[in-house]
Amino acid sequence: MTIDPIRLSMLQKQLDHISRQMGWVMMRTARSPIFSQSHDFSCFLTDRSGCVIAQADGIPVHTGGGGFAVRALLARFGADIHDGDVFLLNDPHVAGGNHLPDWTIIRPVFLEGQCLGFTCNRGHQSDIGGGAAGTYNPQATEIFHEGVRIPPIRLVEKGEMLRDIKDLLLLNTRTPELQEGDLSAMIGSTRIGAERLTAIAKTIGLEGYQAMLDQLMDYSERRLREAISQLPDGEYAGEDWSDTDCFVEGVTKVKVSMVVRGDELHFDFTGTDEQTQGFKNSPLANTYSSVYLAISSFFDVSIPRNEGTYRCVHIHAPEGTIVNAQSPAAVTMCTVFPAQDIINACWIALGKADPQRACAGWGRNTICTTSGLREDGRPFVMYHWIGSPGTGAVAERDGFNTMGQMTTLGGMMLPNTETYEQIYPVHIHKVEFRQNSAGAGRMRGGSGVEYHATIKVKGEYSYRGEGARRPTGLGISGGRDGGGGAMFVASVGGERQAAPQYGVRRQGPSEIWITSPAGGGFGDPIERDPKAVARDVEDEIISPDHAFEVYGVVVDEAFRLDLEATQDKRNTILRERRQAAK
Amino acid sequence: MTIQAPWRIAVDAGGTFTDIVIADSRSRLIAVKAPSNPPNPAKGVLDGVALAASRVGLSVEQLLQGCSRFIHGSTVATNTLLEKKQAKVGLITTKGFRDFLEIRRGLRENPWDHRTPFPEVLVPRSLRVGVTGRLDASGAELEPLSYQEVLAAAEYFKSKGVEAVAVALLHSYASPQHEVEVAGILRDVWPEAWVSLSSSISPIVGEYERGSTTVVDAAVAPRIVPYLLELDASLSRLGLANRLLIMQSNGGTVSVETLRRHPVTMVLSGPAACVGGLRYYSAASGHQNLIAMEIGGTSCDVSLLYRGNTPITDAVEIAGHHASIPAVDIHTVAAGGGTIAHVDQGGMLVAGPDGAGARPGPACYGLGGGDATVTDAQLFLRRLTPGPYAGGVISLDGDPAENVIQAQIAGPLGMAPDAAAYGYLELVEQGLIHAVEKLSVERGLDPREFSLIAVGGAGPMHGASVGRKLGCRSVFVPRVAGVFCALGMLNSEIRSDFVQAVRLDLDEAAPEKLEPLFKELESKARAALEGEGIAHADRVILRQFDLQHPGQQSHITTLYTNGDVVAARAEFDARHQQLYGHLQAGSPVEIIAVRVVAVGQQPALPMPSHPLSEVPPEPVSRRKTYVDEVLKWHDTPIYEGQSLVSGQSLRGPAIIEELTTTVILGCGDVLSVDPAGNYEITFEG
Repeated sequence: MTIDPIRLSMLQKQLDHISRQMGWVMMRTARSPIFSQSHDFSCFLTDRSGCVIAQADGIPVHTGGGGFAVRALLARFGADIHDGDVFLLNDPHVAGGNHLPDWTIIRPVFLEGQCLGFTCNRGHQSDIGGGAAGTYNPQATEIFHEGVRIPPIRLVEKGEMLRDIKDLLLLNTRTPELQEGDLSAMIGSTRIGAERLTAIAKTIGLEGYQAMLDQLMDYSERRLREAISQLPDGEYAGEDWSDTDCFVEGVTKVKVSMVVRGDELHFDFTGTDEQTQGFKNSPLANTYSSVYLAISSFFDVSIPRNEGTYRCVHIHAPEGTIVNAQSPAAVTMCTVFPAQDIINACWIALGKADPQRACAGWGRNTICTTSGLREDGRPFVMYHWIGSPGTGAVAERDGFNTMGQMTTLGGMMLPNTETYEQIYPVHIHKVEFRQNSAGAGRMRGGSGVEYHATIKVKGEYSYRGEGARRPTGLGISGGRDGGGGAMFVASVGGERQAAPQYGVRRQGPSEIWITSPAGGGFGDPIERDPKAVARDVEDEIISPDHAFEVYGVVVDEAFRLDLEATQDKRNTILRERRQAAK
Repeated sequence: MTIQAPWRIAVDAGGTFTDIVIADSRSRLIAVKAPSNPPNPAKGVLDGVALAASRVGLSVEQLLQGCSRFIHGSTVATNTLLEKKQAKVGLITTKGFRDFLEIRRGLRENPWDHRTPFPEVLVPRSLRVGVTGRLDASGAELEPLSYQEVLAAAEYFKSKGVEAVAVALLHSYASPQHEVEVAGILRDVWPEAWVSLSSSISPIVGEYERGSTTVVDAAVAPRIVPYLLELDASLSRLGLANRLLIMQSNGGTVSVETLRRHPVTMVLSGPAACVGGLRYYSAASGHQNLIAMEIGGTSCDVSLLYRGNTPITDAVEIAGHHASIPAVDIHTVAAGGGTIAHVDQGGMLVAGPDGAGARPGPACYGLGGGDATVTDAQLFLRRLTPGPYAGGVISLDGDPAENVIQAQIAGPLGMAPDAAAYGYLELVEQGLIHAVEKLSVERGLDPREFSLIAVGGAGPMHGASVGRKLGCRSVFVPRVAGVFCALGMLNSEIRSDFVQAVRLDLDEAAPEKLEPLFKELESKARAALEGEGIAHADRVILRQFDLQHPGQQSHITTLYTNGDVVAARAEFDARHQQLYGHLQAGSPVEIIAVRVVAVGQQPALPMPSHPLSEVPPEPVSRRKTYVDEVLKWHDTPIYEGQSLVSGQSLRGPAIIEELTTTVILGCGDVLSVDPAGNYEITFEG
């Protein structure tokens, strides 16, 4: 059938509108701060075969991954899916999940007795049991240490919550009250999505609706093909690596070879290291999401992000490597690491194909979680998010000086000090930008921050100091790497010592210092606008010496530029570089 | 034309034009449009008043002497920030925390668009100074404030040419003690500096939100307060007996004397006056539930009245800067007469967000615009008449419209030009529908229980179609559709909001704990109403709670009357169910803030009432217009708005040409003229 292209534009907007509307409901109703403050969830719609058709409201590292979950549900339940049912799953090895804390609620949507698609919500739970409070267990060596595993199961049958199942789930969390509220919020959001979707499909008719979805996905595919065809054909390599598997130091590498051929992209991860004993392993759904994130953040933001978009992207992830981990690998860290390694490797390869669009690396976070009992006896889990890293630069802007996990691309809200001091037994001494850390470049990286806090009660500390050693915000297209991070701890009044990079410790009242890693620079530092350098000096983001040595910019005590001396210095730097090259 | 005293005057000053509306004691409305004067806003207002005076055959003095209320709203505060003309601000904060303003909580509005920089931070790092001194979360002092460091900051700011100082110290919502000390020091050593204290501007929890609000206040204050004082003085010198009233973001007015304590509350002045407009037309139409859709050249503002109340939000974004102030909840989308259509690389039609602006404007303006816009589509479908448009400011030309529709839309899509132009209008209208839904459905309200008010130059062209698709009860088109907000000012009340952050469990909150908190806010509220000269009988003071389940990001504001905590909880639960579709009946609820609203009631703007005519209306002409996909080109009657009188009715398809807008009726739309002369459209079938 022929479809009016304007009707198609309208349908696309309607589907996006529905997924956003689901997000409004979720955002405002969820109980856990991880939803209500960090927006760690994604609402999405799929067609009846499980292809994601709209995900306007979602965190970037969930992109496209939800399709794996719906297809796993279809494989398990087939025709045994009925109007009024709601399903749940989380397992990455058997249920198309990305990691156990992300629970996916899936609601089939029916019209005239026929399934027309699914409305879904994937959200990070506050606690799912397992070896550590707060879902992240850095000591896990197999998935059984990470919490409750849920295959595709029915949670609501013909509109009735299955009480036995719910009781079982709530018994397996340390925060049953939060989880009960969160589950209602997730289910509520899929119900509102389903109502809206049915209304739309009704006006179009079931057959017409599916035909239009197909065309929408074709359209998205055309848009990405058009963008890819602008890249020169060829093979481009990228890699990034971690210096720890959470237990021992050592290189764990993600390696990608990207082939551009016409309007298709091939990502081959052959050469990537084998899955590790720790929890930094990526199941396939998460690897696909990460590659999709790298692509969509690289190209024009107006290109839609549904599963049609990525039909021209081919991914080969060898089984048993950290980008396609097999059971019973522990995987909880995957949405951060190796997701960030995968994205960086792909960004580097893409940046070689089009240096002007290249994205410098974001610093790897160097944080920890403190859990324990407040002075009034109530339990708490506090993420030291305030010590988040700086981001990489791109041609259009400097890096952001501090931002949450890069796999959310800034979709995660950082806490206020005041709120933390109100609800947690903590006193925060300092949150300020670092100096001379930002990856130098035509556009500089984000500086990172100095964070210092005292936790007034005893507690359990779960360390995740991925960026605590080497520089991790990688510079690109001539930009320099951002400064590395560090984390120190001391018992109150005791001696300051380096925190373990990964690990869980029980500590008395403690002080913690986080120097968060800085982001990478973009382009040659000596091409940076001298006025921007002078501003950075005046703002104490860099020192006058740093301005002189790295940027070749001469600034006096009143922060006035000496353009002539600057030109001389920059010429000298160029001359020295030429000599060094010889 | 003669007007009968006493009358009210409203002046709504935008960036380009200033609307002046006079309502006299016989309910007659006179609307005048004058150019604004951004470099000298006080003179802009006075010139507008002079123009209005000449229009009604009075001297400026006569006009002001006969005026019982003079209300002014202005976009000066917003434009100051948009055009980066704000004052140079220095920020004093707690040592170790000088960067919260630039961290912006690490949040990107659209994460996928990671390439667009943040708007330039309002206070550069070099002008953000941390000083020693620390409170804890209860407001208790952990470390005294350093006098020396505040002194040094003042000297430093002076040397840097700072005009205004924002003070935002950690936990000052719990105790203003240190901020008051800072203000005292500054007053002693630098009396001419403007000083904004976060504990006074917006005493809420969260250093970013409170601090940013304070910085915005300091940034706009030196650009607003002097001109308002000057205007106030000039008007009273020229004969205005009552004091000048200023429209605030909360939809209420205050005197200049009150406003100067927190000029940030003027940022939405203008659009926020929709509250008065909604109330006015609620009275006229008898509808308690109204949604206003004000569409101009580039944007559409949606606002709402539900059971007689307009939702108030507690934060707004101005030019990308956060301000936590009570503000009428207005949802703005980029959709207007000038919204540009284009077909993207994948062959999909996209509406906006770019607009053609006033110059060159839509192609049909004939001023060199080469983009296809909404106005071009309307003209091509012959719903607009070629020739003088928008009160004669512009002349519409059909040829360029036809060319751009063909070249920019129909050609690339492979569609017939009329179907393409009509499809484009449908796409734009879907955007309007989504905007209305965002404001209504998002808070659990059903648009089918509302009537729509279509205002602004382009509103009445889309009103009937959008209202029908949303299933609204009716669509209301005021006869003075072009000056909705200025009219709203004439019908506004005096209002001040007071808030205090707390953290208390609702169920355990004993009245003896709550009473002192409210008492303190109420004494401020009474003082404010006293200061505005409001008689006791006209004073309304309301107590409110901001409530949430622990951990929730957003709260629900409920009334707290007669010390009835149970009723507050019941209202919270009911609203929670309505907003979110579920209840958490057993879960604890905490009070995160207590609020007091002080309202000074003002007599409502009376509604005119005309005799009803039984003569059927006569069209002035007929022509083929493109009505919809079924009727396509159809012989359509064209009516002249000026000839339609109360009591008359007609059915669509039809077109009514007003001086500054056009009302478009589709199939099954029935329009009647109410006793006040406004149009109400209902739907058949």
